[in-house]
Amino acid sequence: MSAHAENLTHDDAHGHESHGALSENNFLGLPNIKLAMWAFLGSECMFFGSLIGTYFFYHGNSLGGPLPKDVFSIGITSISTFLLLMSSLTMALAVDAMKQQKPLTARTFILITAALGACFVGFQVVEFHEFYTEKHLVFAGANASLFGSTFYTMTGFHGTHVTVGVIWLLIMSVLITKKKLVPGKEAVNVEVMGLYWHFVDIVWIVIFTFVYLLEFLK
Amino acid sequence: MSNALRSLQKRLPSLALTTSLLLLAGLTAACEELHPRDAYQHPAADASEVSAWFYNLYLVLDSIIFFGVLAAFFIAIVKFRKKPGDNALPEQSFGDSRLEIAWTIVPTLVVLGITVPTLGGLFELAKRPDMNQKIIDIDVTGKQWWWELDYKKEGINTGNEMHVEVGTQVMLHLTSADVIHAWWVPRLSGKRDATPGRNYPLNFKPKEVGSFDGQCAELCGASHALMGIRIIVHPKDGPDSYENWVTRMKQAAAKPTTPQQEAGQKVFMNKGCVACHTINGLSELAPGARSRTSGPNLTHVGSRDYIAAHTLKNSPDSIATWVKNPQAVKPGALMSNLGLTDQEASDVAGFLTSLK
Amino acid sequence: MASIADFAAAQKPIYHQERPSKTGLLDWLTTVDHKKIGILYGGAGLFWLLIGGLEALLFRIQLARPDQHIFVGDTFNGLVTMHATTMVFLAVMPMIAGFSNYFVPLMIGARDVAFPRMNAFSWWTFFAGSLTINASLLFCGAFPAAGWTGYAPLTTRDFSGMPIDFWWAGLTLLAVSSMVAGVNFVVTILNLRAPGMTLMRVPVLAWMMLVIQFLLAFSFPPVAVGLILLAFDRTFGTVFYATNMGGDPHLWQHLFWLFGHPEVYVLILPSMGIVSEILPVFTRRPLFGHHAVIFSGVFIGFVGFGVWGHHMFTAGMGPIADAAFASTTAIVAIPTGVKIFNWIGTMYNSKMTFPTAMLFAISFIPMFTLGGLSGMMHASPPLDLQQHDTYFVVAHFHYVLVGGALQGLFAGFYFYLPKITGKLMNETLGKIHFWVFLIGFNVTFFPMHMLGNHGMPRRIYTYPADAGWNTENLIATSGVFLMTFATLVFVYNLLTSLKKGKDAGSDPWDANTLEWMTTSPPPVHNFDFTPVVLSERPLWDHKYTPGFEIPVPEKAEEIHMPSPSWKPMWVSGSAGLIIVGLLTFNGVFGIPGWPLCIAGALGIIFSVYAWVTEPV
Repeated sequence: MSAHAENLTHDDAHGHESHGALSENNFLGLPNIKLAMWAFLGSECMFFGSLIGTYFFYHGNSLGGPLPKDVFSIGITSISTFLLLMSSLTMALAVDAMKQQKPLTARTFILITAALGACFVGFQVVEFHEFYTEKHLVFAGANASLFGSTFYTMTGFHGTHVTVGVIWLLIMSVLITKKKLVPGKEAVNVEVMGLYWHFVDIVWIVIFTFVYLLEFLK
Repeated sequence: MSNALRSLQKRLPSLALTTSLLLLAGLTAACEELHPRDAYQHPAADASEVSAWFYNLYLVLDSIIFFGVLAAFFIAIVKFRKKPGDNALPEQSFGDSRLEIAWTIVPTLVVLGITVPTLGGLFELAKRPDMNQKIIDIDVTGKQWWWELDYKKEGINTGNEMHVEVGTQVMLHLTSADVIHAWWVPRLSGKRDATPGRNYPLNFKPKEVGSFDGQCAELCGASHALMGIRIIVHPKDGPDSYENWVTRMKQAAAKPTTPQQEAGQKVFMNKGCVACHTINGLSELAPGARSRTSGPNLTHVGSRDYIAAHTLKNSPDSIATWVKNPQAVKPGALMSNLGLTDQEASDVAGFLTSLK
Repeated sequence: MASIADFAAAQKPIYHQERPSKTGLLDWLTTVDHKKIGILYGGAGLFWLLIGGLEALLFRIQLARPDQHIFVGDTFNGLVTMHATTMVFLAVMPMIAGFSNYFVPLMIGARDVAFPRMNAFSWWTFFAGSLTINASLLFCGAFPAAGWTGYAPLTTRDFSGMPIDFWWAGLTLLAVSSMVAGVNFVVTILNLRAPGMTLMRVPVLAWMMLVIQFLLAFSFPPVAVGLILLAFDRTFGTVFYATNMGGDPHLWQHLFWLFGHPEVYVLILPSMGIVSEILPVFTRRPLFGHHAVIFSGVFIGFVGFGVWGHHMFTAGMGPIADAAFASTTAIVAIPTGVKIFNWIGTMYNSKMTFPTAMLFAISFIPMFTLGGLSGMMHASPPLDLQQHDTYFVVAHFHYVLVGGALQGLFAGFYFYLPKITGKLMNETLGKIHFWVFLIGFNVTFFPMHMLGNHGMPRRIYTYPADAGWNTENLIATSGVFLMTFATLVFVYNLLTSLKKGKDAGSDPWDANTLEWMTTSPPPVHNFDFTPVVLSERPLWDHKYTPGFEIPVPEKAEEIHMPSPSWKPMWVSGSAGLIIVGLLTFNGVFGIPGWPLCIAGALGIIFSVYAWVTEPV
């Protein structure tokens, strides 16, 4: 009973506070923040599901502008996809290091993850630029097409999620440096970040497979 | 205050009863009123008969369930009140599995029993009619805030008032030029959205001769309330037959015969009306173009029962009111206020009324 | 026999708090206490309930007689739109959030929600959203007028003006608020339960709150996407809803109703929970088939995601899709029926008393049944083709949402307010409120069934005298005055009870659940000691079942209470700044708004950093 009683003294477990009773023993045996992340990711599934659904709802409906086949270049996107996949590996290594009480190693992996994520976003910026200037795929305005609007919105929101993740990782590395995020009970914060990062990664796998690769199936 | 309030409180249930009776009386009075758009009492086409049949089915079923629940509810209230001074606890029962299983299974069976015929009715309504019979095909385009009706085969373009024949299959093809509208004439068929960029069929076979009113049923902007429809079902023979109507409509517009009508025609041609409205034989576009359709085709506007999509009864006076200031009649109306003088307005009204 | 007086003997806990609580207004601005946030939500909900009611009163006056010219065209459409938007998002939902905030932690024996500052963030974002929607009256002199369903393309730039921008902006903020709150409460209910409170011992109201928090978290994203696409169309000129570019108006309808139908259950399930809490107390029996009531609620929540297409039977999805949605919708009748039978089962063999809370709770049953049965009609496509978008539907959802949801919430007010204020509400005024409201409600909405049958579509601002709708419309409008009067009596009763009300004590109703074991109002830390839960009616069994007493520990507990914080408001404010930036993106008086978006984004990064490094 006392273990349960303790968790009633929980506090705001959102962040990376270095004090207070971050409850790890609670009713489901799952830290609050981890449970919250799972619930949030469920919500995100609906969000990206709706965006990807919108893309397919409108697939082939464009009345003008280039077609997906005209603009996608699988080679370059494969590279950025590979980078993002690798970042999931380094993220997992960071989580592991944190669990093994090695905050500095964890920080290194976190920074590598952030760098890979930033590269991915960089690739996306270049891709958008190329699509817009050379392939004339327009997001909005007089020359916009449905393909342009849906494609940029869907991938743009994914890119925004990666960017948020990169900022989050950077904040985390600062906190580790300042010893405000220390192994032990707070390792879960890195783990939760990892969940988010893997999720964003999986969303990209879905987009890359169904939006990019399927175009070239036939 | 408290004594008065408390005595009021005692009288509340009887007050409720009285009010319910009054309400009932009021609603009975309402039933005395004529209901020219009642879809269930007097369905006048095959499609609306299907809906009415389902309505009656559900009404019976729902009434049985509702009054059953209500009876159980009132029995409980009357029978199981706490008596004054009785402070013993009632029996602490947590449920009864057999009872609960029963009242899960029964609704399940009811739902199954009702869903099967429902799906049957649904597919029946969605069935494509036999294409070998005579079919009146009409393209319907919803526009803010009127209906363009195009009889392609007959070559007739008109607005708001649809003419069909009793006993003949009607096939509407619904679309919209701007926002979503919904075509609904309750006594003939259920409603169907007129969606821009899409084209939906709506089929019905009228069984009664007469005029049937309806209106747009999907919020479509400021004058959504004033987007009426009238369907006139003609008999098969006689002077008022559908074929006679078609013949009349195919004729070009009547020529002006009085000085006022001539003046009105001039106003029509010179003041800008002609930019949006077509009058066959007077203001056609280049050969090949079907018609100007920002506004309704006015070739036979004088023969319509209403103007401005069922907003005003058709008369020279109401046409004059309408053309002088359309927005005063219909908020947000897209028809321009051309700043006509009273004289011009009544001339145009005289001219348009003559276009029988 | 044990009694709740035993609890008074418990040692007061020892607090740990980083920063002292503020006082006065600052306290309300920085509070992270679930009870204060609950009061804020509830107060806001009541305020908007009055505003939404006023809007309804105005447009019912317009409809009292045929061919009237009081509120015409888009003025009327704006009133209708804002009545629905206000009632759904700004009145009923915050009242639910208020109950959820105040009572869920108390019911499950917790000291606060899982993330108190996130909770404050939800509240401030809601607050910003509620102001944004209504700000269109201030800045544009008009309300958004495309209906609360906002069907594209009527909402696009071609057909609607600036007010729609305020509408999407406000709703987007509300969506964010609800999603965050959903996640927060899912964790709270699942993880912060008192020791011994297994899922089947969680009170039904908390269970229903758990279900709706899942619905909020999972159903708001689709409409958020729909609103974002609308915002992009209106702000940047994308072509999602541009039919001349190949856009399809069905997209919005799918995204909206994929949210919209679960949302309906968000509105009704908490009231079902309240009824399920109140009935056992005043029948003095356990809830009949407690598990069945819970499971049926969960089932309704699940099915709620698979029925959205029944709002689109007239849209032309094709007979196959129509058939699928008709079937799933019909299934909803089963768990709903189970609930109704269980409530009536609770009433049998009982010894009922009828204070106002109980009156509202039991009148929920027939009123909701009526609304549910007319809902069964719409589940049938051949019939729905006639009833869709008519006053019959208006009658249906008002029976469900006013006779159901709102009456349930009124019951909740009479039942739970004594816990919040420590004062009982006046029963005489309460009964006047109940009877006048019940009568007024039926006088208003029953005739609407007939209006629908007689062919009157909804959302029309006027009708011709010869359409045969005159009598019913007049009756309906007269009922609105009764409802207005009743609601004012309620507000008067509530306000006067704060000062003049009789002291409630901890447990005025001899109730079943944990919230009644603490004082009224509860202390900041809710409970002096953590209760151990041994049954589904812990407090009842403490009082009446020997061997089930809740043990009072001898040692004082040490607890850490969250400190007040400005950070939630900073984040909400920054999010609001982004929204204002989007609203003025293309420039107001020649000044472009996009720098505000960047400022808002930087503001969020900064304040989140401050948030996570702030000691709580």
